Amino acid sequence: MSIELIILLSMLATFAVSVFIVKLPAGVSLMMAAVIGALVGGQGIPVRHLVEGGFGFFEAILIISTAMIFMKVMEYTGALAGMSKGILKIFYKKPTLLIIVLVLFTMFPGMLTGLSSTCILTTGALSAPILLAMGMPRLAVGSLIAMSAVFGEVAPPISIPVMIIGGGCDMPYIGFGIPLLITALPVALMVALYFRYRFLHNYDPENIRRYLDQLNQEKHGVRLYIPLLFVVLYMVGEISFHEYLPHLGVPLIFMIGALMGLLTKKGTSLIRASREAIRNAMPVMAILVGVGMFLQVLALTGVRGYLAVVALDLPVGLRYLAAGIMPFLGSAYGSASIIGVPLVYVFIGKSTLVVTSALVLMAALGDLMPPPTLLCAYAGQIVEEKNHFKILRVSLIPIAFSMLIGILIIIFAQEIANFIL
Amino acid sequence: MIRKYIPQLIILAVIAVAGTIASIEFLEMHHPEPLYPSENLTEIVMLSNYSEGLKGTNADTEIFVFDSGKPGGTALVCGGAHPNECAAYLATVLILENIKVTKGRVFVLPRLNKSAFTCTDPMEGFPQFYNIETRNGTRMFRLGSRVTNPLDQWPDPLVFSHYPSNQQLSGFETRNINRAYPGREDGNLTERLGHAVLQLINEENIDISFDLHESSPEVPIVNVIVYHEKNEEIAMGAVLGLEMQGQNYSPELSPDNFHGLSHREWGDYTNTAPFLLETSNPSMGRIREATTVELVLEGKSKFYQKAKETKALRIAYNEERGEPIDHRVARHVIGVNELIFSYNMLQEERTIEIENLPDYMEIMENGTGYYLHDPMEPNHENKQ
Repeated sequence: MSIELIILLSMLATFAVSVFIVKLPAGVSLMMAAVIGALVGGQGIPVRHLVEGGFGFFEAILIISTAMIFMKVMEYTGALAGMSKGILKIFYKKPTLLIIVLVLFTMFPGMLTGLSSTCILTTGALSAPILLAMGMPRLAVGSLIAMSAVFGEVAPPISIPVMIIGGGCDMPYIGFGIPLLITALPVALMVALYFRYRFLHNYDPENIRRYLDQLNQEKHGVRLYIPLLFVVLYMVGEISFHEYLPHLGVPLIFMIGALMGLLTKKGTSLIRASREAIRNAMPVMAILVGVGMFLQVLALTGVRGYLAVVALDLPVGLRYLAAGIMPFLGSAYGSASIIGVPLVYVFIGKSTLVVTSALVLMAALGDLMPPPTLLCAYAGQIVEEKNHFKILRVSLIPIAFSMLIGILIIIFAQEIANFIL
Repeated sequence: MIRKYIPQLIILAVIAVAGTIASIEFLEMHHPEPLYPSENLTEIVMLSNYSEGLKGTNADTEIFVFDSGKPGGTALVCGGAHPNECAAYLATVLILENIKVTKGRVFVLPRLNKSAFTCTDPMEGFPQFYNIETRNGTRMFRLGSRVTNPLDQWPDPLVFSHYPSNQQLSGFETRNINRAYPGREDGNLTERLGHAVLQLINEENIDISFDLHESSPEVPIVNVIVYHEKNEEIAMGAVLGLEMQGQNYSPELSPDNFHGLSHREWGDYTNTAPFLLETSNPSMGRIREATTVELVLEGKSKFYQKAKETKALRIAYNEERGEPIDHRVARHVIGVNELIFSYNMLQEERTIEIENLPDYMEIMENGTGYYLHDPMEPNHENKQ
């Protein structure tokens, strides 16, 4: 057995024991797994590496903390409930259409920013109460918004994993619109239908009518939605009209949105919203610090390279399955960089645009997978489920289905390209 | 009361200790290693002389000028665009510490992205330093980051839109100098750096310029000379000349739809003949084993060996020799030499004559360190 495999197994075992037996938080468990991995790999306790890795997702941590504050303010002002009510009023008589609309709605921020987490923290937080009101089980709701976030990250116009793969093989981000759309959209719709017919057998529109009547009737007009509008428009504007808009960064945009929210309704306390939001987001932020350390130790000890070699070493006929390893790296960006780039070269001869799009779908599924289980953890926050692995369990069938579609797209990449490009 | 907070206090203490240790290690990267330009050095100027926007920033960097005093052409040799590509930097240092210019001028810019020398890339597990043995002592060099230090330029946008083409790349690339050309005077720090380099090329009438790099072995653009379409003749001449020395370099035409790179934008926006050279460095690749100083310097990689055997993709890795630092440095040095030779063949007046650079066999036999200044002589008159 190679030393890299021993290191990997020791890290996974440490994580599993820490989470499932000792019942430590996932973030702390990841940090411990990183320390054990470094020790087994003969690196001692590499303090500098652990700190450096811990800052690997610093920007994501800032985004999550500020997004959570923003969403809390939106909750206090009543904007969230108002939007949920509006969507429900329009679509509640057609549950299938409603679920499809909610999936696309949840995907929307990811399509514009390339960040899956923003889907769950913004539109996902809006969709969740609607789905719950429709009678969908809590875990299924968490799973559906987590899956939607994955598809949002893949769908055009902005797909950062494609850009990461492109950066690794000098491929400009040109011509990916249709390949990404045909990769993300049909799977998203099929997953929406799966959740509709698997988890929503006894849908009764009357329940929704009653739910709507119960909702707060307080009216503040459109001004409640100005902060949300500002956040979405500025994020899009920063990308599309960067020549004219100053670059603020996502965290600052969320904070400005939160401050605007305070002005839309008197008595909303920023301190209270911040305390509650940060308290909620703390476990997820700890996971991100832990994931960064974990990934740093994987690179430091050679486990990352080992996984890439294992993928490449599969027999020719099974080489497509190498792409199936991508989600198990537990991070879309990490997976795109580590395995995505070599696989683009492996499949040279087929349409690079279609192959890359399918690889990105596989990579994006990594955001759901352990050890970090990031999107499941976010979704757990939204549906108030402490054990986010339960959300992962409900997601297994849609994940397997999405992987199957991804592999089929790679196999028939050239034929698809001939048809669509 | 206090007992209730003991776990929190312990956690805070651990964070404080770890943070202090890490801070000390990170701060060590802010001390530039000394360089010892050859005795033929004429002057040292700062890059900010060509663009005010760099003045007082951590990206302002030294340009070492070697002027023969005889009229001729002007060359620019840049290393350290990506400080994690150590052979590119060391080759420039080797040229800096040995070169003698007998006709024309040569500008050497060893730390092109000086800010990127002060940090490492998170989640890559790179060492911070490596040592090179010279004839009489050890010299330590920094192994920096691919991009500008976030302490100098932050935050990154989600999507990087290249100026002026609007080409989109991931936000991380905002801090990559080799995606930032032609840059702009009022842009972010990396764009200002790119702008300054173009100003230098234009103001000094640089005829031929080199941007030295390294790549992962699995990347197709490796062991190559990338040239702008207007300079194909120089590139082909050099490739032939290098082949006669037993070294294969693939000539690669700069793609006209991939913007921000030196071989594209220097060629489009100035009159220089730009060339980008890449060597294969297993310590940078995604398929590497444990990221150690040995891997950086010796370039022996069991994983790249295995990846090559799978034949799943093209891997630029020599199973017998590996990709040692001496081989990589030597390829850069003879690449620059041969390209200048090829350029001279097409010139009448603006030729550049340089001497005193070792050839491939000499570097392989004696080692890179043999050609670096002895650190035991601290009173070197040009020490920087």
